[in-house]
Amino acid sequence: MKKKNVGAVLAIAVILVYLLLPLAVSIIYSLFSNWTQVIPRGFTVENYVELFTNPDFLASLGRTLVLCIFPIICTIVIVLLALFVTTIFFPKLEKYVQVICMIPYTIQGVILSVSILSVYINNPTFLSERLVMLFGAYCVIILPYIYQGIRNGMRAVNMPMLLEAAEMLGASRLYAFFRVIVPNILSAIIVSSLLAVGIIFGDYVLVRNLAGSSFPNVQIFLYQTMKSDSMKASAVFVVIMAMTFLIAAIVLFLKSRDGHERSKRKVKE
Amino acid sequence: MKRRKFLYLFALIPFLLVAFLYELIPLSMVVVNSFRPDEGVGFTLENYETVFAKLLYQKAIINSIKISLISSCIGIVIAFIGARAAHQTHGKLNSIFMTILNMVSNFAGIPLAFAFMILLGNAGIVVQIGRALGIDAIANYNLYTSNGISMIYVYFQVPLSTLLLIPAFDGVRKEWQEASTLLGAGKSTFWRKIGVPVLMPSIMGTFSVLFANALAAYATVYAIMMNNISLLPVQIAGCFVGDVKIRQGLGGALSVTMMLIMIIMIGLTNLVSKQFQKGGAKA
Repeated sequence: MKKKNVGAVLAIAVILVYLLLPLAVSIIYSLFSNWTQVIPRGFTVENYVELFTNPDFLASLGRTLVLCIFPIICTIVIVLLALFVTTIFFPKLEKYVQVICMIPYTIQGVILSVSILSVYINNPTFLSERLVMLFGAYCVIILPYIYQGIRNGMRAVNMPMLLEAAEMLGASRLYAFFRVIVPNILSAIIVSSLLAVGIIFGDYVLVRNLAGSSFPNVQIFLYQTMKSDSMKASAVFVVIMAMTFLIAAIVLFLKSRDGHERSKRKVKE
Repeated sequence: MKRRKFLYLFALIPFLLVAFLYELIPLSMVVVNSFRPDEGVGFTLENYETVFAKLLYQKAIINSIKISLISSCIGIVIAFIGARAAHQTHGKLNSIFMTILNMVSNFAGIPLAFAFMILLGNAGIVVQIGRALGIDAIANYNLYTSNGISMIYVYFQVPLSTLLLIPAFDGVRKEWQEASTLLGAGKSTFWRKIGVPVLMPSIMGTFSVLFANALAAYATVYAIMMNNISLLPVQIAGCFVGDVKIRQGLGGALSVTMMLIMIIMIGLTNLVSKQFQKGGAKA
């Protein structure tokens, strides 16, 4: 028994080292001015100081934030409305909504971006605005995650019973849905929005293909910096990865907290 | 009452608007465009002829399939070992492992390309250390080849596939292992004859996710190779973005080809896993 576990521990250790090596090396690289021998020399935080005083970088962070906020809010609202109608009034339509929401999961960035580009690039209306195309593409690319989050949340709270109770107390269905159901699935909505933030934050393909260089987000900033100066880029890299991991950690924490609460509730029942 | 019910359909409009404008119409136009000549109207198979006749695009298809297959195969083997190890350990190590897998599964795109260039690029740290220590195999490592690129793909396949496989191991019951040990089977016999066949549907499912993931990957490979490698996503993007005129028909045909490869792979993996499910039902 003991012997078997040694093998497993060893396997985990090797995989962890493998996964963490590129991260660790890049972090060390960003903190030293000279690493041409085995041992890095010249500790410095100069790269970070320079980065956080660089207006271009701060602007790219701001752009990324804008790119996250609008598509995510928009997608949450349209999915909530669609699920409100289909689950309460037209259950037969629900599977079509599901199919539409899951298609982007298989069609990834490249095909989606070029197909949107080819349809709207010569459009005379505002649809040919690059930012409009980009917002639309982001809404679609995060659709599977938002949909699944909200749908799972709805399943977990026993929606028909809650709605019935609210109606008995005199609430309309619309009121009951948005004032009773939505607050109850808020944590599911938050988790799926954070997943979406992670996706948009890490996106390079859509923003490059659709917005070109007109709206550089942090990923494009990193790409441009790494082509000119890898020392500076390493600081950008560390900042991006720190944010990405922070988002992932919050998602993980919220999920496990939800899981605990649910299992506690089950025990009580 | 009936009419009021249909009034609620208006709430579906925003969803349908976004879905049609940015998902359904563009995707169907890709398919339609692939059968249309770039100039004028009509139906043509010219674009597909170009895709399958021109060496550049043949190479893109072969390279894409090759890199996706290699990285998915290596990825799934490592993931199998990792997921089995995760299944066999408990407590702190297990939760650290799960947390890091979750974190690293977000490590992709441009940052991943950057990290590998720092690590294994021409002036990469590992390469330089290899030179300093006189280890030729490391010193001469070349990231900028299709094999070098495959190694990066393997890296992003590992956390994803391990996370996908771990839940499947709950299906391998301890009693089976005990029973097979009692009957005189060693550990490797158990995994070969029982463990892997039972897990095969999950392994195949994971494999098709990995394959699709590798096939569509673009940012990482673009950041490292620019347009100096012939892969399907690179060629597709090249038809629409860049200095040259937009070639919708050709880009459409390449996109459809890529989707077809994905569908074929999903079909194949389903076929294999059905075989194993059938076998399990008979036994």
